[in-house]
Parts: sequence; C-alpha cells; structure tokens
Amino acid sequence: MDELLTRYNYDSFVPEKFEQWLNFEASPKTGAPGLDFPLWNLDQTPTRLSEIWSQHDYTVVEFGSFT
Amino acid sequence: MNAIAEQYAAQNVGSIFLCTHEAHPGENYPHLTSMEQKFRHACDLRDILGVTRPILVDSLDGACHRAYGSMPNMTWIFARSGLIVYKSDWTDAHSVENAIQYFSQIPTRRKAGERLAPFHVERLDYRNQDREKFYKGLERSGQKAVDEFRKAFPTG
Repeated sequence: MDELLTRYNYDSFVPEKFEQWLNFEASPKTGAPGLDFPLWNLDQTPTRLSEIWSQHDYTVVEFGSFT
Repeated sequence: MNAIAEQYAAQNVGSIFLCTHEAHPGENYPHLTSMEQKFRHACDLRDILGVTRPILVDSLDGACHRAYGSMPNMTWIFARSGLIVYKSDWTDAHSVENAIQYFSQIPTRRKAGERLAPFHVERLDYRNQDREKFYKGLERSGQKAVDEFRKAFPTG
C-alpha cells in the first residue's frame, strides 16, 4: 500500500494523523464548477460525480463513513 | 437527511451519501486497506445505520473526498450544471433543508421571468451536537475509537 493510501486511511484517530485532512478552507468555492471524479455504486458498477449531479436540478452530496 | 431526501425528491432534488475513509477506525471497523472492505463498510451504512439514500463509494485514496476538503461529515449541493451552490464543513439537516428550500425556488422564479444573478453569502449555522448518539457511533466502531476520541478531545 503506497504512502498516500496509508496516510489517508489512517489507522488511529490521533491529531497527527487526522488533522492533515481537515482542509475545508482550501476546498472549491461556491460559484465554481464542481470537480468531477469516478465513483462506484454499491454494486461496484462505476459512475461519476458529474453523472450524479446532472440528474436533478439540485443534488445534495453528504460525505461520511460508517464511523 | 434521509427524510429530507424523500421530502424534496419530488421537487427534482437528488441526494446521495458518499462513502469516504473511516474517521474513527476501531476494532469492528478498522482503517480501510482495500476497496472490497470499503464496499462492505458502505453496505453497513445501508444495512445497519439505515441510510436510504443512494450510497456511492469514493476511490480508496479518497480522490473526490480530498478534492472537496476531506472533512469527515460535510455536505455539498450541486446544480444540474455542476455549479457548486452550497458547501458546509459539517452536515446539519436544518441547514441543508433551508438551502434546498431556497434553491428549489430558483427554477420556478426563472420560469416566471425573474432575471436572477448569483452572489456570494457567508453564514454561520448551528448544528445539533448529540454526544450520546455520537458516542454510540464510536462504540459501534470499537472501544479503540472511543478511547482515541476521548484522548484527542478530553472535554468532547
């Protein structure tokens, strides 16, 4: 597993591991075009974020995890 | 958030849950090391936590999550064109619903002939801090997750 995968998928909730990912201030601004990325459905079929946002007038995307 | 998704679906508002890295890895839900594991954890969002919205999974390196600031539980709203119209560093159903109510009027206002121009607004919203529910979530992940959070935030 490469260095980015290990850092992003940190194994412990300790400040030196999770604080580096709290980058909201550097995220895209409202009014800017969204950044498109490949994503996967639960059945593991591929899709893209742009495929999702283009299906409705507005699309709410909540980011999160089981924990 | 599930209820809001259902309530506003008829107004052409879509809602998804995007699965990221584990914020509080524990004995039961350890840090991710494979996409297979990430899909299993994502399925548990549906099967155990009751997420009824479509659940999508980011890449193992969190490319999408990182590009949007990689906060543990944030919400973004996109217009059909892909324009970013709302971003919040934490998810709060009241804040999201308030935004949807505002944005869902835009197509109607345009059809009615209003000439609308975008502008920026900043606002400080308030979220409900349900500590009991939060700690139950940590316990589902495992005692390690509980202990690490208490150590990181002794007054949390």
